[in-house]
Amino acid sequence: MSLSHEREDALVQKLKENFPADIKETNIIRRARLEVTVAPEKIKDIAVFLRDKLGFDHPNGVSAVDYNRESRFEIVYHVSSMGIKDMRDLVLDLKESVPRNAPKVGSLVSVWSGVENYERESFEMFGIQFDGHPRLEKLFLTDNWDGPPPLRKDIRFPTD
Amino acid sequence: MSAPPKPVPLTTVESTETSESGAQTLTLSVGPQHSGSGHMRLIVEVDGDIIVNVAPDPGYVHRGIEKIIELRNIIKSIPVIERPSIIDASNLNHAWVRSIEEIQGVEVPRRGQYLRTLLNEMNRIMSHLYWLSIYGVFLGHTTMFMWPLGDRELFIDLAEKLTGARITYSYLVPGGVRRDLPPGFAEEAVKRTEYFEKRLKEYDRIFFNNPLFTSRAKGIGVLSKEKAIELGCTGPTLRGSGVDADLRKDEPYAAYPELDFEVSTRPDGDSFSRAMVHMDEMRESCKIIRQIVKKIPSGPIRRKAPIVLPRGVAYGRVESARGECSFYLIGEGGDKPYRARYITGSYRNMAAIPAVLLGNRLADMPTAWWSIDYWPVEADR
Repeated sequence: MSLSHEREDALVQKLKENFPADIKETNIIRRARLEVTVAPEKIKDIAVFLRDKLGFDHPNGVSAVDYNRESRFEIVYHVSSMGIKDMRDLVLDLKESVPRNAPKVGSLVSVWSGVENYERESFEMFGIQFDGHPRLEKLFLTDNWDGPPPLRKDIRFPTD
Repeated sequence: MSAPPKPVPLTTVESTETSESGAQTLTLSVGPQHSGSGHMRLIVEVDGDIIVNVAPDPGYVHRGIEKIIELRNIIKSIPVIERPSIIDASNLNHAWVRSIEEIQGVEVPRRGQYLRTLLNEMNRIMSHLYWLSIYGVFLGHTTMFMWPLGDRELFIDLAEKLTGARITYSYLVPGGVRRDLPPGFAEEAVKRTEYFEKRLKEYDRIFFNNPLFTSRAKGIGVLSKEKAIELGCTGPTLRGSGVDADLRKDEPYAAYPELDFEVSTRPDGDSFSRAMVHMDEMRESCKIIRQIVKKIPSGPIRRKAPIVLPRGVAYGRVESARGECSFYLIGEGGDKPYRARYITGSYRNMAAIPAVLLGNRLADMPTAWWSIDYWPVEADR
């Protein structure tokens, strides 16, 4: 296994060339793991580019992270590639930040239909609204749950 | 595909709806009984007996494990992390310790890696056998329910010798594993895997080559390759649709790069293909177990690892029995993670449930649904 990051560098390069103003930050965590932070209003275009031009056809998951000290949520789309065999070990984290008091972003279900359940979970557990989601309803929580989104950082267990 | 059906009120068992064209459909609430694997419900809309709409309704066994992990020391979390799928405990445990080690920068000694792989493969067989027994009983084949559960004891006993526990081991810890091989383990493992391979041939004879099974599984619940990828499926569900993706090969971890095994795929994407992938994988796991006990290197089994999680981020993933299990782990320097996003194979494959059921007859639902090996507890976490 090579220790260089040529493949990852090339991906970052291609993204920066095509979206010079919208890629806010890139970070190669290690070999085969990279993070790309983008502007929320452009995430859909970048997602389509990743899927159609760079081969990221496989949605691997979506994570929401509550940075309450910085008053923002981060939404991370983990995507990988099945079509390109040499890239199957690679996971790209496509990240966007939204203010905590108005958590509203565009849904990526139209790009990767597999993110539907993950976005629903982020909606119920963190209260993040996904515009354009076909069925933004509770997934795991019961329909009569009326408490706050339970995975937010300010929610504490009664025993804490 | 039309819009997904609305959740029916909890008190309703079924309701009829008439569309504008006058066609009548029936909406059924299937579940949330414990169907052999944990509680979950499928809301199924049928036209006659053809399934025209499906909405999975999970969450009956949701424990909030992501929150529990955030409030606990990274070592104390290990038993909690195994709980979503106790029949595949060590693979989930492996994803957790891999993520931690990645942030800590801890290298596991080679013997430790081999022992991890050994338990992982035993777990894969145990999990697939449990799946097979439920599949048998779903299809009314009582022998196929009894045999796998009985043969599963072969590996449960073996795991008990190795770890001291039958089902939930907490065997993998950051830096390595808890215990070394007991004396006489290698001979016992060879004996049991060889016996088990003979049993697999009998499974073929009684079940997999049996028209009772083949006529109910072939061509039922077809999931195309493109659809499986687009929906983010993993594990046997993806491989049953003809994609030879397996993290043990694609992103080799633990001792897998040094072991010889095949990735099993089937091109058709139907229930039969997914079932056969499970069968092939049990054979391959037997091969892997014998290779491990033969060529396991000597040396330490564990390296000292800190009990704090330094600042950093990792996306650690492994190939568990039901597909890819991953942790998106964020550390901030304390002994607890800032965020531990936990995505399991069943959660990933939940998206495939409507895809495999639509267009099939209601009577084929058990065949198609259980071929995905969807484990509600693992999906809900």
